[in-house]
Amino acid sequence: MCAERLMESLYIWLEATALSTWLRESPSLWAFPFVLILHTVGLAFFVGSNIAWDVRVLGFSLGIPLDALRRYFLVMWVGFWVNAFSGVLLLIAYPTKALTNPLFYAKLALIAFGVVLALRIRREVDGLGARPDATTLARMLAAVSLACWVAVIFAGRLLAYTCTRLTVDFPC
Amino acid sequence: MHAADGGFPVLDQVLHALETYLRHTPQGEFLRTAKWGWPIFESLHFTGMSLLLGTVGVFDLRLLGFAKRIPIAALHRLIPIGISGFVINMLTGICFISATPDQYLFNKAFYWKVTFITIAGVNVMVFYAGTFRRLLETPPGAPPPLAARLAGGVSLLAWIGVMSAGRLLTFFRP
Repeated sequence: MCAERLMESLYIWLEATALSTWLRESPSLWAFPFVLILHTVGLAFFVGSNIAWDVRVLGFSLGIPLDALRRYFLVMWVGFWVNAFSGVLLLIAYPTKALTNPLFYAKLALIAFGVVLALRIRREVDGLGARPDATTLARMLAAVSLACWVAVIFAGRLLAYTCTRLTVDFPC
Repeated sequence: MHAADGGFPVLDQVLHALETYLRHTPQGEFLRTAKWGWPIFESLHFTGMSLLLGTVGVFDLRLLGFAKRIPIAALHRLIPIGISGFVINMLTGICFISATPDQYLFNKAFYWKVTFITIAGVNVMVFYAGTFRRLLETPPGAPPPLAARLAGGVSLLAWIGVMSAGRLLTFFRP
């Protein structure tokens, strides 16, 4: 198929670039290991602040003012961009490994769904003023959001066990 | 070859005995043989990590002066969720070590990880030994006492250290 041939030449080209080769083959801890660390610490703050937000919306610790907790959306976005950046580097290092695995696309879709949910919950809660308890709809969305982030973590972790091709020339 | 081989014969014997013991525990056998056991436990380990950083990390940032309008006591009520995350990670962590003990007991990154967990633990004990009570007594809106800010900073750095060392485990396998 034409699209497949196109993707194949993309993998070949990308894996031959200096950045991809350095990330994959450098023995330095500042290459691949550091990118992995960024992706993990970013995950902890990104998913972590989402969890704090979701459990509060679900009704945990009503003494936390929802509008004050909104400040943690900053932490969420910092975590998001750290992981978008480190994620792109991981993709550049092993494009064939990620892009030939259907689970990778599922993970991206789940992340997009989670971000849309977080924004939707925030909009739902914004109209409440100083009221401590969120609406039933916001709570239901928060429960779905929690499940979504756990699913993202499982999808991400399982990528390492479900890949079929490591690089253009090597199987996983 | 092993970090523990250099001049500590007793420690080395203890580590080798521990290695043999752990390898034959039921949880070790389980994780080595169950088909999807390892990836699922890893995912749980990352979930526990997110629960911990989402509550303890969020509390640490508040101690450092972030989102000052949130009452400390109310935010502190999220901490049990973080403790449950820590328990999940202790349990899954013990299973990893039991399954392939040599990969951890003779691994420099594992020593760092244990060191950072110990720093976080000592920091928590110092915090609850007095700092926390003084923190609750500060009037709303006032900046947290220096000791509390320090505890928040040490905690954040220690957990980032734990996560980094954890990620480096695979690169320092014996």
